[in-house]
Amino acid sequence: MASSQARPGDRRVVISGMGAVSAAGLGAEPLWRAARDGVSQIRELRTERPYDGRIKIAAQVPKFDPAAHIEANILPLCDPFTQFTVIAADEAMAQAGFKREDIAGPRAAVIIGTGIGGMETIDNGLFHYYTEGVRPDPLSVPRLIPSAAPTTLGMRYSCLGPTFSVGSACSSASQALGLGMQMIRFGLVEKAIVGGAEACVINGTIRAWEGLRVLTPGLCRPFSKGRNGMSLGEGGAVFILETLESARARGHEPLCELAGYGTTADAKDPVRPDLDGVASSITLALEDAGLKPEDIHYVNAHGTATHANDITESQAILRAFGEDYGRRVPVSSTKPVHGHALGAGGGLELAIAIAALREQIVPPTINFLEPDPRCPIDAVPNEARPHKIAAAMSNSFAFGGINAVLIVRAIEGAAHAV
Amino acid sequence: MTDTQQEKEKLFEEIKEVIAKEGMIDVDKITPDATIESLDLKSVDIVMILTALEEKFNVYIPMDGNLQEAKDVKSLMEALIDHILKEREKQ
Repeated sequence: MASSQARPGDRRVVISGMGAVSAAGLGAEPLWRAARDGVSQIRELRTERPYDGRIKIAAQVPKFDPAAHIEANILPLCDPFTQFTVIAADEAMAQAGFKREDIAGPRAAVIIGTGIGGMETIDNGLFHYYTEGVRPDPLSVPRLIPSAAPTTLGMRYSCLGPTFSVGSACSSASQALGLGMQMIRFGLVEKAIVGGAEACVINGTIRAWEGLRVLTPGLCRPFSKGRNGMSLGEGGAVFILETLESARARGHEPLCELAGYGTTADAKDPVRPDLDGVASSITLALEDAGLKPEDIHYVNAHGTATHANDITESQAILRAFGEDYGRRVPVSSTKPVHGHALGAGGGLELAIAIAALREQIVPPTINFLEPDPRCPIDAVPNEARPHKIAAAMSNSFAFGGINAVLIVRAIEGAAHAV
Repeated sequence: MTDTQQEKEKLFEEIKEVIAKEGMIDVDKITPDATIESLDLKSVDIVMILTALEEKFNVYIPMDGNLQEAKDVKSLMEALIDHILKEREKQ
């Protein structure tokens, strides 16, 4: 394997571009503005067929014309989760300064996380088949497979390297980023298109989520007293990874360094988070980045606003960051803004963490009523806060007990470096 | 005994049956003083129990504070009965 480094695993990995699709619309910038300004994108639920459940709110991507972004010969193969991926990827590639063919070849990987894959294709297809006897769309299978997102990107940019989807529920996007980073570090590939996508806000899925009793019928209030659950979201986020060396060689100023990744499994409970597992993933990410807790100046929390997650996550932050600094480091959950986008969640939240790092502003946790003594962290209630941020962390903790934590860091000498 | 008390006792027995059936545990273990821990209920058992209660009583029971903090059968039952009665008033 060709590598210019003396030791394997030493190559520094940077994020050269990013793109997002979320309830705030198309683009990473509207997502960041909504998060920074604390403007919730959770709205009245919009479904094609009447919805009989009790929860009638969600953070859905506003209606847009996919044909304006995706070619007519590709579009029939694109479930909404793939559409989100393609639109976010085009934005990320453009920001990275790459044209369609610029990273072509076997040294480029494509790894996209998704909890389910083409859920709308599945839900719609089965509805029509079972209720009306209408045969599913002949393109159903290539549309719904989770790997439709990475393979569609691979065809778009002619990437011939390792290409697959990561299915680890709400940790999918974060694990996709972590894996891409590791592959570049160890010289397996030179470039990686990574991220996550999800489009699950459809009748069958919302009803199933309701059954788990983790959805709030009212406002999502992470870490606050009076919280009683999350709101579903959807979207996609894509990032272009390469080495710092290659970005500099082509005169490109990256957004930041992707400096650390920690992932662990609780191996305990299908839906309840575990303090040991969560805390250990945070500690591993710090070790991987070679940073001390005090070097992290902002944490974008998993912060689902479920009773169990927020207590466990707060305890884990105190354990990993220390009783003193764990209480002082600004920790916000932006889920009340963009919803819980499941397999895309870690991606949308990392995009926000990167913007926070670059603008030196901590986005708030909105809908915050009053502190819950069992969540003794600084949740940055309701108002954004200017803050010196040299490195930021993004947490994702999934059903099944899969934990994934990412750390981004300002690049020395960069305009935003502190 | 007031009507409300009678109603609560009836609910207690009905909920007890649901917990035993859905949690797959011996109904005799479900005494007011028994800790939730001693019943060895997993998080997925709780979901199944709440779903059965939702269908039986036609109410939505969110996993909020009172339910999460219940340490013994008595406080769990109180939280559940409280929810069910409140929802009934709304209907």
